[in-house]
Amino acid sequence: MTVWVEVEGRQRRVELPPEAAAGGALRCSVDGSAVEVDARAVEPGVLSLTIEGRQYRCVLDGDAVIVIGRGGGRRFVFAVEDTRSLRGRRGAGAGASGTRTVKAPMPGRVVRVLVTEGDEVAEHQGVVVIEAMKMQNELKSPKAGRVIRVAAAVDTTVGSGDALVVIE
Amino acid sequence: MKKVLIANRGEIALRVIRACREMGLATVAVYSDVDRAALHVAHADEAYRLGPGPATESYLRGDLILDVARRSGADAIHPGYGFLSENAEFADACAAAGVTFIGPPASAMRALGSKTRARQAADRAQMPRVPGSVTGLASADEALRVAAEIGYPVMLKAAAGGGGKGMRAVTSAAELPAAYTAASSEAERSFGSGEVYLEKLIEQPRHIEIQLMADTHGNCVYLGERECSVQRRHQKVIEEAPSAVVGDDLRRRMGEAAVRLALSCGYVNAGTVEFLVSRDQDSGEQNFYFLEMNTRLQVEHPVTEMITGLDLVRMQLRVAMGEPLGIRQQQIRLRGHAVECRIYAEDPENNFFPSPGLITRLMRPGGPGIREDCGVYAGWTVPLEYDPMLSKLVAYGETREAAIDLMLRALDEYVVGGIRTNIALFRRILLDEDFRASRIDTGYLERLLSLPAAPADAEIPDDVVALAVALFASSSKQSAVAASAAPESRWAAAGRREGLRG
Repeated sequence: MTVWVEVEGRQRRVELPPEAAAGGALRCSVDGSAVEVDARAVEPGVLSLTIEGRQYRCVLDGDAVIVIGRGGGRRFVFAVEDTRSLRGRRGAGAGASGTRTVKAPMPGRVVRVLVTEGDEVAEHQGVVVIEAMKMQNELKSPKAGRVIRVAAAVDTTVGSGDALVVIE
Repeated sequence: MKKVLIANRGEIALRVIRACREMGLATVAVYSDVDRAALHVAHADEAYRLGPGPATESYLRGDLILDVARRSGADAIHPGYGFLSENAEFADACAAAGVTFIGPPASAMRALGSKTRARQAADRAQMPRVPGSVTGLASADEALRVAAEIGYPVMLKAAAGGGGKGMRAVTSAAELPAAYTAASSEAERSFGSGEVYLEKLIEQPRHIEIQLMADTHGNCVYLGERECSVQRRHQKVIEEAPSAVVGDDLRRRMGEAAVRLALSCGYVNAGTVEFLVSRDQDSGEQNFYFLEMNTRLQVEHPVTEMITGLDLVRMQLRVAMGEPLGIRQQQIRLRGHAVECRIYAEDPENNFFPSPGLITRLMRPGGPGIREDCGVYAGWTVPLEYDPMLSKLVAYGETREAAIDLMLRALDEYVVGGIRTNIALFRRILLDEDFRASRIDTGYLERLLSLPAAPADAEIPDDVVALAVALFASSSKQSAVAASAAPESRWAAAGRREGLRG
């Protein structure tokens, strides 16, 4: 079977044999190059992979895989998607064109809203201040543009990932 | 003493509960609404609700805590650190209710609680302190006069201060009046007292502190020092014991000065005297200056326990029962080296933004030389309401180098899923040449963080990550991960759910 994965923004094509789900010695390929891997589930969400004798412990953590080796665990954000939608999304979100949304990075309380709809903002200009764990944090615009929507209201509680301000 | 109420939460509450268990004392936990499922509650014999999540409505409500003591028949209260631990009114209220407060008497807390009064006490105990005023400044004019006497640069500090609030470094007379007003109003806002004083700014000092333990029979010993110079925004990040730059003679002088101060104030139980240590540019001699005294058990007490072989919490409990220390200064031996990392729910890659939330996975290190005082578990949701410290990881080795290498190995094993932590930051510090050579001062970490981070070890090929992701996809329940688009998108969501289930 073919699985398209995107790791740290780079798209890879992985071919797995039909028995992959059961684990064991597997003949796979990544972007067309053959790889012999021995895969064992050591606990739910944790795989031990050996490739040419090197062992990697891989931990599934939400939308990331943490690979533990010498030098500590490294976290890789991934997505599993098909080529079409990946390309589509790149086209819409890339560069300075299109809309970008400032989202709450964590749950907290909105302390100040620094922009109103219709405002022109510069890249990295502060748009909203949220307070969480006794710390105030200013969230900045990811691009230069115009504010087309302000969803944040002062003194309201927001959850992680909530849209606060949309910039076009 | 038969039953101890622990007026705290998290790892320190659990630490105290464990010591009580070992000594055959019953334990009473208290909790706020967001802490019902917290680890410290699950370890206690009895547990009672205080109130809503915010500390001002729960862990800072001395009246509610004393109600619980009465209801449960607890005859002593351990305050831990933070919250009510340095609150003299609460210690008084405990005494009035006939409950033993496991800590110093309220009078000693008052004598040392204000930084200006503590500086006066230091003078009486003939202890070196940072030059400057020992009373609050009445005006900007007085500030200018004191600053002219001791010379710039100077530091304005709130008498009631802590955590860097109400503090301003000033390099010239021109800046002083505005800084005085700013520091005073910030102190007023933060602590309800605008009293500020002025002291000479010690450049690139090390923060080194002496652990004390005193009993009710007039005995007081010092248990060596802790090096706490690795700080970010005045908060300690890594602590170690002993300090690489404190020799026997300096240790004895600092220890004896700290004991003099404690005895002069009628101090009892565990306490810490903080010093700034700097090397004189000309003579090369190391000078130490009294900074303040913390009238409680400190977060970083485990490193002292590792190198002395003593259990500070059990000592605290025995002192509170009225027993003598049972150990003399000459019997205290330091052995080996201990390093502690404070593991926080925060994201070093995103400006140390707090990262509370559900811990989906907790893979904790083990092996020789590792101690962990941990207050969380997989499935626990780190609340927004409190300090985001998750755990204290301590490594003990025969030498400083061995302890650091042991800690690096333990950090490699440590995985926290669901939330972000500062674990990677510790790797960076522990591998840094200056840290390893102990060329550190209180500005060290901010300087390190202003430099670009070295790229992560290129030990993990991209192919491995791609394979792991694909294999997780194929082994998930929705293993119809075929070539078509829709099932794969569904899997992405399923993968996230699986991650959450942990």
